[in-house]
Amino acid sequence: MFAAMGEILKKYGGWILQGVGYTLLVSLVSTVLGLLIGILIGIFRTTPKPKNKALAVLKKIADFLLSAYIEIFRGTPMMVQSMVIFWGFALLHGGRTMNVIFAGLLIVSVNTGAYMAEIVRGGILSVDKGQTEGAYAVGMSHFQTMRYVVLPQALRNILPSVANEFVINIKDTSVLNVIGFTELYFQAKTIVSINFNTFATYLLVAAIYFVLTFGVTRVLRLIEKKMDGKKNYVVLGSQNMDADSFARENAATGGQNNG
Amino acid sequence: MKSMKKPLAFISAVLLLFFSAGILASCGSKKDESKIYVGMECGYAPFNYTQTDEQNGAVKISNAAGYANGYDVMIAKKIAEALGKELVIVKYYDFDALIPAVQAGSLDFIIAGMSPTDKRKEQVDFSDPYYESQLVVVVKKGSTYENAASLSDFAGANLVAQSGTFHDEALLAEAAAYGYTRKTPMATFPEMVNALKTGAIDGYVAEEPGAKSDCASNPELTYVPLINNVTGFQASPADAQIAVGMTKGSKYRLAVNEVLASLSEEDRLNLMLEATAYATGSNVVDGE
Repeated sequence: MFAAMGEILKKYGGWILQGVGYTLLVSLVSTVLGLLIGILIGIFRTTPKPKNKALAVLKKIADFLLSAYIEIFRGTPMMVQSMVIFWGFALLHGGRTMNVIFAGLLIVSVNTGAYMAEIVRGGILSVDKGQTEGAYAVGMSHFQTMRYVVLPQALRNILPSVANEFVINIKDTSVLNVIGFTELYFQAKTIVSINFNTFATYLLVAAIYFVLTFGVTRVLRLIEKKMDGKKNYVVLGSQNMDADSFARENAATGGQNNG
Repeated sequence: MKSMKKPLAFISAVLLLFFSAGILASCGSKKDESKIYVGMECGYAPFNYTQTDEQNGAVKISNAAGYANGYDVMIAKKIAEALGKELVIVKYYDFDALIPAVQAGSLDFIIAGMSPTDKRKEQVDFSDPYYESQLVVVVKKGSTYENAASLSDFAGANLVAQSGTFHDEALLAEAAAYGYTRKTPMATFPEMVNALKTGAIDGYVAEEPGAKSDCASNPELTYVPLINNVTGFQASPADAQIAVGMTKGSKYRLAVNEVLASLSEEDRLNLMLEATAYATGSNVVDGE
């Protein structure tokens, strides 16, 4: 069995590498783009209601459309979405099909964006309300608050979820094979159509997917660690301590502290 | 964490740029009039299959890795030459997607071992037939059905055919009469070969050239040579033949029929033999 897998790797290595390349390209780019979409939606939805009546109505409509987008793209399978988008485009453009690579990026980004919007919203909600209030108190606009105070903290909180989405995307790009996108699973199907060796080929491809996802998980955990910085200082939980208690505690422990 | 350097406008600009660039790129890529776009599965030897190299006159597949070769590719080359256009082979792994593609205008021709059945004729036009073959059943060597002489010998067997094909319709139509079980159709021939090898099914339906090719590539398989309307499945000539599919009212129909008319019965047989020889050549990886 392992000999057969080695044979397949040797004979079709080029195709497999091409498939891996496309898989990683689409997963990475789509996760990043999806995150950007999610952030935009997150900022927009948490904007306080505008004073102007007309703008308030517009915001309500926009909020509704965004909710619809999120619900629809989270509520239908990505495989079905890819068929609808790809063939819908062809129908509307007299038969010209979308460039398949662009189609793949579009479909996965838009799908990821819907999930990211919810993740980012969760991240923003997880930042203590006091932060926002404090920022408003010193005169920051909503956008400044988001950009300098809330989002940096929210992003750190959602990093594990984003990493999770990236890993999920690596596997889910396999559904793009139905529109002819030459990612890893599509290459596997092509190989099987030549060598008729179904089990060995797909076992090999499964192993490759595992190596990819495991590797990415490890790398992202490293990045998380780097982001947290060195552990030779501890962040104070200043929300639950007033100035007097803090001073007392500081004196008692002689400068060393546990927040 | 350092503050985000990207302002809102920048993010929106990036996204807008990305999506509009993509849409423009897709819109800009018109179908080139100097080329003909031919769709095929590239997984149905010896009609159309994938090679790793360009030996034996294979044509590079435009939208996937590998080179396409086979009887259909040879016919496609002849048509392209007669029309004076460049041949572009487009791989459609999903056989069911070929007709919608022609209807949508993404393809000029389907040359994929497709039979001009009445249902399909409602959606696309077909040329004159360019091959006719018997429907046979591929079985495993040493199985109880190896020496079957006709369909009635398959009583109690689990048989399967490719989804979306006339083979499956024929299989379904006569299941009750002959007492075999028609299993849920499968998407591709390699899948059926695998099911047969592992014993999940007792046999699958194929056209004779395809059966010959599969058996040469998989020595543990053999096929039962049935004859349409005699010992085998009921099949009208239109169902047993294969023809070139094209858009309704296509301007190419006359020209294609001329090309096909220039090929005698013997020419076609020789081409098929050639295609089968190439298909079972050096592109097989040893299994377990």
